[in-house]
Amino acid sequence: MELPGLKDIIARLRGKPPVPFSVLYKKFKGILERHNAILELIGDMGDKLGGDYVFDRQYIFDSCERLGDQVFKLISDLSLLCQRKNVALFTAFERIQFAIREELAGRRVLSRTDHILPMAELTHDLADAGGNKMASLGDIKNILGFATSEGFVITVGAYFEALAGAELRKPVAEAMRRLCENNGAGLAEESRALQQAILEMPLPKGLGRAVDHAVRRLAGEKNVLFAVRSSAWDEDSESSFAGMYETELGVPAAEILPAYRRVLASLFCEEALRYRLHHELCAEEPAMAVGVMPMVDAVVSGGLYTYAPLQEEDQAMVVSAAWGLGKPIVDGTAETDTYLLRREPPHELLSSDIAAKTTRLVLHPGGGTRTESVPEEERGEPCLSAAQLALLAKTAMTLEHFFKRPLDVEWAIPPGGELVVLQARPLSIRPRASAARGDVSEAAKGAPVLLSGRGVSAMGGVSAGPVHLVAEGEDLSDFPYGAILVARHSSPRYAKLMPKCRGIITDVGSATGHMATIARELRVPTLVQTGSATRTLREGQEITLDADHLVVYEGALEALCRFELVREDVFEESWEYRTLKRVLRLISPLTLLDPKNDAFAPENCKTFHDIARFVHQRAVDKLGSLAETHREIRQSAPRQLATKLPLGLTVIDIEGGLDPAAGVDAGERDIRCRPLKALMEGLNASGMWETSPVAVDMGSFMSSVTRTFGAEAAHPSRMGRNLAVISREYLNLHLRLGYHFTVVDAFLGGSMNDNAIAFRFMGGVTDLARRSRRASLVAAILEQFDFLVEVKGDMVTGRIKKHPTRPMLDKMFMLGCLIGYTRQLDAKLDSERALQRHLEEFLQRITALRETRE
Amino acid sequence: MTPEAIESPASGPANPQGGETGRGKTSILVLDDEPIVGKRLKPFFQKAGYEVEAFNLPLEALARIEARRFDVVITDLKMEGLDGLSFLGKVKALHPDTDVILITGFATMETARQSFRKGVFDCVAKPFKLAELLDGVRRIEKERGLVP
Repeated sequence: MELPGLKDIIARLRGKPPVPFSVLYKKFKGILERHNAILELIGDMGDKLGGDYVFDRQYIFDSCERLGDQVFKLISDLSLLCQRKNVALFTAFERIQFAIREELAGRRVLSRTDHILPMAELTHDLADAGGNKMASLGDIKNILGFATSEGFVITVGAYFEALAGAELRKPVAEAMRRLCENNGAGLAEESRALQQAILEMPLPKGLGRAVDHAVRRLAGEKNVLFAVRSSAWDEDSESSFAGMYETELGVPAAEILPAYRRVLASLFCEEALRYRLHHELCAEEPAMAVGVMPMVDAVVSGGLYTYAPLQEEDQAMVVSAAWGLGKPIVDGTAETDTYLLRREPPHELLSSDIAAKTTRLVLHPGGGTRTESVPEEERGEPCLSAAQLALLAKTAMTLEHFFKRPLDVEWAIPPGGELVVLQARPLSIRPRASAARGDVSEAAKGAPVLLSGRGVSAMGGVSAGPVHLVAEGEDLSDFPYGAILVARHSSPRYAKLMPKCRGIITDVGSATGHMATIARELRVPTLVQTGSATRTLREGQEITLDADHLVVYEGALEALCRFELVREDVFEESWEYRTLKRVLRLISPLTLLDPKNDAFAPENCKTFHDIARFVHQRAVDKLGSLAETHREIRQSAPRQLATKLPLGLTVIDIEGGLDPAAGVDAGERDIRCRPLKALMEGLNASGMWETSPVAVDMGSFMSSVTRTFGAEAAHPSRMGRNLAVISREYLNLHLRLGYHFTVVDAFLGGSMNDNAIAFRFMGGVTDLARRSRRASLVAAILEQFDFLVEVKGDMVTGRIKKHPTRPMLDKMFMLGCLIGYTRQLDAKLDSERALQRHLEEFLQRITALRETRE
Repeated sequence: MTPEAIESPASGPANPQGGETGRGKTSILVLDDEPIVGKRLKPFFQKAGYEVEAFNLPLEALARIEARRFDVVITDLKMEGLDGLSFLGKVKALHPDTDVILITGFATMETARQSFRKGVFDCVAKPFKLAELLDGVRRIEKERGLVP
């Protein structure tokens, strides 16, 4: 009988025996598989935001859980492979995992504990902290880029902390329950008591100081007056509570906290409590953030309804305007100019009714506001010029498209003349047509279908407008407002057009690429991968894009667009959508880019993707160094591969990657590794260059560039050497040619589901403009070959997986060509036109090459 | 949730999007205790030309099923109170010609087999594509002769 542990003890006395290489290689392969599974899971989660999928709360929980589990195991695998504890990596994992769980539990992990959120940082993703109204304003400012009031928000967190400090949370909940159970009996008394309690409760420690600080940052020592506005959960969203909560205008800095309390107390005013009861909102906990923003000292203010509430004017928006501040207009106590404008661009003026405006509300320098009389000569003047009206109309329609609801927009124009959006909330009256002829299934009836069932929805939604075809590399500065962009490839360049375009359709592109991400951020209906949109759709043709159903109709289908505005719920505002988007911030961005950089360290892993990237890199490195040091594999130690092109390529064969008969002087013909073989064929297809206008012999050109780095590359201990780790199905290639750095990781020839190619391309010495042009070129080519492409600065990542082995090997061949072709290009990409030319040239040549290959 | 589907007689040429039948629109009842599912499916199918009612509470949906017949029922499998399989049983007992599509969290073979025995037309695993579900409904329409 053997004593348990005896073997271990002996082993320890003798020093650890080395783990057999075959075991380590298996571990390595396991890491690759898990790494791929993780990336796939991350990609899947991103896909769900595209609008094609229906997912629920459980999906978010489950996938976060599954992903966390996989990432944890991935680190454990690395620990086994490297025989290290990886404490820093586990710590990074714990940190990210914790943040994700807090997000899922609805506990926002705010870096600030002072309960102040500057408007400049607020978007709908932070609606739980900033309340709905201010979050919408934050979107308008930070996502759409319109001018709004500056300022800050005292968060929902502050409210809850104050409530907890005064031990009010339970009494509030009980009062709400009583009201609901007794159907509102005693509502007036409950309301009084609750408001009194709020007015008397102590505020969180430090809140006063934080507010002072924020005010000073905004106004310095100047005597600025503030608007203090409610921003409750649910306010201005599915339910409205419009106008029920308090807003105080002209508040001096010293009065902000008392005003804050009064606004908070209005959360429990009778009207709001009654509204809660009638709208079955008993289960929703009342909570409020409060916005504090410097008053805009307006020359002209007013409101705009994107749908005029008039029976006879179905297609108009209405603007009311008056001199001075806007409150009397909103309250309906002022004489106002009224303009009717057409909803469709160019928003022609239908009618204007200029009133005699005898008084106006202005800021009182000491605080508050006062009414004064308007000078005689200004009374009968129109408040707005044609240009101002046009700007207002465009702004409002862009907001409507973003929020997907008819809107009531409050705006002001200060002495400088720039339009400032004060707030935008859903119009409580819905477009008339929805009630009367609300049958949406009739909306598209009989309309000619131009495209149907093709493509992938990168962002759902419906919109109508004229087609504007954009050619690759075309100047985008005169893109017409309100048009639908139609292009061959998706491109992040279109980001800057998104605020003025109504939709995007591309022939080629992915729903997870950079452009798609931005389209989702700006909620522009986007259809990619349609194959033929640029051929089917004509410049200037009026179309309606329904990205939810993957259909493009001829003509502007007003009724279909309208349906978009009368939905009860906007998907992008749902808990599910916002939460998935928020957790993905902790999951999918890749911030660890350059393995040669010092910042490439476990401590700097900010996302699960970073961790996966780090582990993958370390595993590949480890395999390389094991292959050099592990005593078991002397025979498969690094070998310099003799190649036709002077690549200086070192090969580590793990398993069947080279002909077993080949000795130390292995050459290209000995390659058995399928992905490497295909790639080399592409690289060697130097016929591509013979017709090139540059009179440089391919071989000598390459060797001259490689030579610059020759000494470095040859040094095996350096990262960045030209190294291929291969087996029969696997290739991991780090190739530095000149200043370009390419990484190819491919597994081809197993089952179709395991087939995967990842390609990364970066570097260069020319200016950033040329490098990004080259990145666009590489991206466009990769997309042409169905890669999922991501461009970050001058780095391009392309991935493709799960295709049959044959076409995947063709893609490896193409990558070989691409690596060779683009290397010499940097200097020549001096214009967008050159980019276009080279794109076409490459595609032509590769087509010719592939034909001869077949 | 108050159902607010609008009934209207069929008229005019066939809707290119589908959903239109000789005797009116194909009717769908959606039941899922995750409100987001109904919120997404209802406008989607409405736009595609269907008459849709969506529910979060099994008992409410059951009351509705007792009150009228739907062409198609789309229901979650796992819910608090009443599970999808029993709901399915009740639907089939009341209206044998109503077709049911089951939404499952994790489709196990066993529940799938069980559900097919009970006459489920199709199973869709969450998260699913809207287009996938639309395909399912269209197949039902075709098999039942609801569309020309």
